[in-house]
Amino acid sequence: MSTLQTIQQQMLQAVLAERTLPPHIVLGDDIADASSRLDVYRHGYRIRLRDALKVEFAGLQCMAGSRFEGMLDKYVEAHPSEHYNIRWYGSGLAGFLEYAHPWREKPQLANMAKMDWAISTAFDAADESSMGVADLSAVPPESWAGLRLTLQNNLQVLECAYNTDAFRRATDNGSKRPHLRRFAQPRQVLVWRRATTVHYRRLDDDEWLVLGASIQGETFASLCARLAACHGESAAMPRMVTVLKRWLEAGLIRGWDLA
Amino acid sequence: MTPSSATRPGSLPYLGYGLGLRVEHYEALLANPGKVEWLEVVSENYMVSGGLPLVWLDRFRERFPLVMHGVSLSIGSADPLDEDYLARLAALAKRVEPAWVSDHLCWTGVQGVNLHDLMPLPYTEEALEHVVNRVKRVQDVLKRRILLENVSSYVTFADSQLTEWEFLAAVAERADCLILLDINNVHVSAKNHGFSSLDYLRGIPVSRVQQFHLAGYEQGERLIIDTHNAPVSNAVWDLYMEAVRRFGRISTMIERDDNFPPLAELMAELEHARALAEPLLQDAA
Repeated sequence: MSTLQTIQQQMLQAVLAERTLPPHIVLGDDIADASSRLDVYRHGYRIRLRDALKVEFAGLQCMAGSRFEGMLDKYVEAHPSEHYNIRWYGSGLAGFLEYAHPWREKPQLANMAKMDWAISTAFDAADESSMGVADLSAVPPESWAGLRLTLQNNLQVLECAYNTDAFRRATDNGSKRPHLRRFAQPRQVLVWRRATTVHYRRLDDDEWLVLGASIQGETFASLCARLAACHGESAAMPRMVTVLKRWLEAGLIRGWDLA
Repeated sequence: MTPSSATRPGSLPYLGYGLGLRVEHYEALLANPGKVEWLEVVSENYMVSGGLPLVWLDRFRERFPLVMHGVSLSIGSADPLDEDYLARLAALAKRVEPAWVSDHLCWTGVQGVNLHDLMPLPYTEEALEHVVNRVKRVQDVLKRRILLENVSSYVTFADSQLTEWEFLAAVAERADCLILLDINNVHVSAKNHGFSSLDYLRGIPVSRVQQFHLAGYEQGERLIIDTHNAPVSNAVWDLYMEAVRRFGRISTMIERDDNFPPLAELMAELEHARALAEPLLQDAA
């Protein structure tokens, strides 16, 4: 191992684990001893990672309240950063909260972290064009049954057992912190970006049914059949038109093909 | 020190007086650019797939000359160069067509772990050779010479055989790269290590300096901490004037990374830099 490599590895451990360096590595002097000098790096490392997480996890900060800082401290101690861009440091936070005591006892925290992270990753995901109503008019009437929609790649659907989206909304709007509420049945929250703005909203149960099927590549006829099973034959098509119009207006669809 | 008329290698342009571009000032800067002549963007902020960051970048690119300034090249790390990072940096440079690309003479991580800090190097022949080889590789990939910036440091390695300025000068000469001289960082390191900031300036080859950074710091209990979160100090303004006398007309910018004031305050600092430098440059002409 080279001297350079040895020095850097020992510095790394001195910063991460707050270990004392062997005295022959770093010099102290009349201005400051070696330990005080290393403390600048130890302190700075933790501050920078915590600050980066605060930017990405606004909803979690709202939900966790006074527990937020301690949560970040534990994550920073448990997870060294492995990406060159500090913005990506939060990619493991939701997973950490799912297994680490005591936060695993409160699954709403991991769920909130997932939603914050979905919003963060949608923010600078690859640009994609979206289709409007007029684009679908090119589909011949006889071909609609085999129509398959291509959805935005930045679109994410999160299963939420709690009203996590309300916490994020409160943060984004600067409004009062909501009360935590557990749903009788988990709900799906859709996160996507249109142009440069990230959006999120809860999906109706039947909308999620056909959106999930559409993501899986099912045809328009199949989507209508799923709605018919929910609402009956006569109500299925009007509902499908309503849902499809909503998707088009929201910019969720980037293309189509025929099965 | 006397003004130098030494010619600079290469043909990078003189850009005048600029600012580090930060999100906090996007709208104000587009609405009223004042006398800001160019902008320095943090490369990593725009090494993304899409979305708002690149929209803003394109807006500023239409209005200002840009230079790219990275924080994650980790040119001094014992780990292999991150080829994925390098490819993304090259792609961004192709999009932006900056006047130049810079990063820091430091390492930011090792063993696959990133400290997100500008860690100082031991100033040894081994480290020098290592850095020089890597700078050459980076310059080959980017197809341009890069600038390396001196960092503020808080530790001195027992193994160091050279001064910081001897090391920086040797890297620039052997790798044929240029220098981004952060005047604040020279002052911070000089105070923290007890060396002369003027000795530092005298040790830097005039022909290699392409850009100045000016910034502020915080006084810690024993050490000065380079926070870039405060106005430029009087001591740094004094050192800046010495630097202008030695290096001549150098593209200069104010770099603020935290505790952001209204844009007008940074513009006023920039005008102060201009007011200090221009009489010296005219006297020297």
